[in-house]
Amino acid sequence: MFDTLLIANRGEIAVRVIRACREMDIRSVAIFSEADRRALHVLEADEAYCVGPPPSAESYLRIDRILEVAEKAGAQAIHPGYGFLAERAPFSRAVKEAGLVFVGPSPETIEAMGDKTEARRRMQAAGVPIVPGVTETISSPDAAGEIAQEIGFPVLLKATAGGGGKGMRIVQDPADLPRAFEAAGREAQAAFGDGSVYLERFLDAPRHIEIQVMGDRFGRVLHFGERECSIQRRHQKLIEEAPSPVVTPDLRGEMGAAAVRAAEAVDYLGAGTVEFLFKDGEFFFLEMNTRLQVEHPVTELVYGVDLVDLQLRVAAGEPLTLEQEALVPTGHSIECRITSEDPHQGFLPSTGRIDHLRLPGGPGVRWDGGIINGFEVGLHYDPLLGKLIVHAPSRGAAIRRMARALDEMVVRGVETCIPFHRKVMDERDFRDGNLSIQYLEEHPHLMDGEEEEDILRAAAATVAILQEKERNRLRITPVSGGESPGFSAWKRAGRPFSGRR
Amino acid sequence: MRYFVTIGEKEMEVELGPGEIRVDGDEVLADLVELDGSEVHSLLLGQSSHRILVARNGTGDWALHMSGRHLRARVVDERTRAIRELTPVKEGSGNAKALRAPMPGLVVEVAVQVGEEVVAGQGLVIVEAMKMENELKSEGKGRISKIFVEPGQIVEKGEVLVEFEAPGDPEKGSEG
Repeated sequence: MFDTLLIANRGEIAVRVIRACREMDIRSVAIFSEADRRALHVLEADEAYCVGPPPSAESYLRIDRILEVAEKAGAQAIHPGYGFLAERAPFSRAVKEAGLVFVGPSPETIEAMGDKTEARRRMQAAGVPIVPGVTETISSPDAAGEIAQEIGFPVLLKATAGGGGKGMRIVQDPADLPRAFEAAGREAQAAFGDGSVYLERFLDAPRHIEIQVMGDRFGRVLHFGERECSIQRRHQKLIEEAPSPVVTPDLRGEMGAAAVRAAEAVDYLGAGTVEFLFKDGEFFFLEMNTRLQVEHPVTELVYGVDLVDLQLRVAAGEPLTLEQEALVPTGHSIECRITSEDPHQGFLPSTGRIDHLRLPGGPGVRWDGGIINGFEVGLHYDPLLGKLIVHAPSRGAAIRRMARALDEMVVRGVETCIPFHRKVMDERDFRDGNLSIQYLEEHPHLMDGEEEEDILRAAAATVAILQEKERNRLRITPVSGGESPGFSAWKRAGRPFSGRR
Repeated sequence: MRYFVTIGEKEMEVELGPGEIRVDGDEVLADLVELDGSEVHSLLLGQSSHRILVARNGTGDWALHMSGRHLRARVVDERTRAIRELTPVKEGSGNAKALRAPMPGLVVEVAVQVGEEVVAGQGLVIVEAMKMENELKSEGKGRISKIFVEPGQIVEKGEVLVEFEAPGDPEKGSEG
């Protein structure tokens, strides 16, 4: 096993990997941008190195600087987390060429799966069902128009190098296609440094169900069942759970086998996720993410495994010793992504300094966070502050547990999506397991700011009392005259409503 | 003293008398205490217990965090309200409306030109924040009278991006 690991990431995932290092007696090396000097991953790591100014392109994406730090710190391996360089083959290759271990698959595997059109071809060949569409990059808006006419509207434009909803556009109307094509290309260029896009048929209101896989250096690939991630906004997942309310043990076996075939087709090493769209009992390959997912904790809780620990072990050359038949999910787990976005204003990003943080606790509650009191949430990076995860014996109990944990949690200084999550936990379709990737569009009231009566009354009473206390404080200081008749602040002092300090 | 508390769309009346409190006319017992130095308050309203984190924001409003919610409350006492009602309100400056940045970000594209007629829902400016592009749309019909930003520019929340005149604004002629 390695004795020193560099984590080429920030935020909650960097903290997650550092935690695994601590438990495995591995020295952790963090990198940070000038904006992140006070970030939690810097505070938690054994060593930390500044790699440049705030923009990612000048810091977290600088392969040369990261390799320099690895050498200086004596790291034998690099964990890329997710996002940033995690799915960039040149990075995996550069790490290998520097004589270090990349915690993840080979550059060839990343290339095969990262090029979404090639991935579709490979999957088709491996007998994994795919969504109807093209298997080639599209060169112009006109070409896109022709193909779209062939496969029929609505269509989905996607970044060839993509993931995470960036560079993605649904187009309902042919007239909107040229503009959407340009916007998707521009967003893809900004996010991945590659502006090429492709097209596939847009399935109406499917579920998003994905399978976790793990491969070792001996060619063995295991699957760890599914995660349902249907609750999304603009293809960004908000709530994930395991198991899916619609996946039976038989279907799990079938989807798991397909995911293992997909991974084997590209000689998969390490942790990966095969994403499927699921509609009316059928599933279609969407893409494979060749990295650890944000939502990996729900799998960890129902399977009782530590995926980062396993990642590091297989990267170091250890074989997987678990047996597929022994991998059976226990209970139910739900994750809510806590982001600095205001659900009452269309999930607008919010920035500010976190000046009060109260984390929930109690049975079955886990917080994987990247924030700390006093941390400044800026605009340079992803709005994910952390993940609240619960585990309980049943789905119903997990929902009640999540509602309870959300009620306990307080984040002040930025707006967060906590109020949205809290409402989802009470929502009928969510409770019944009636989910699709259209869930948000179908439940717009979850984004409005309407509050329950008793909450409003308590809030109103509180501010009125505080306002009166403030008045009294001001009036107690001796003033000459001007006092209105019929009001005596002195007599009120010490009454129950005015409280004690 | 009576207080009028506004939270979101809803206004409530709270009357504080000696040892009693009325919320929208209903009498309840209320006991509010602060955990020293923490801004955390415990409210017992009747016997129902609420943990409330309270702060005053820059504009004099109250910010409350309770039960997973973040509420903003504006409170005014009856006398202040009476005085305000007697003070005439200043008129706004004509019909000209403005598109403001709803969040800080980077201007990626300005899709309109000065003098252009726009309709409700038409995309005006694309602002990128946290790596996502947000298309800011026109709230109504109008003609663009001024554009304050260009692609590549960083804007703050609330900054005016585009100003436009309502349709048929007679005093603005053919300039631009």
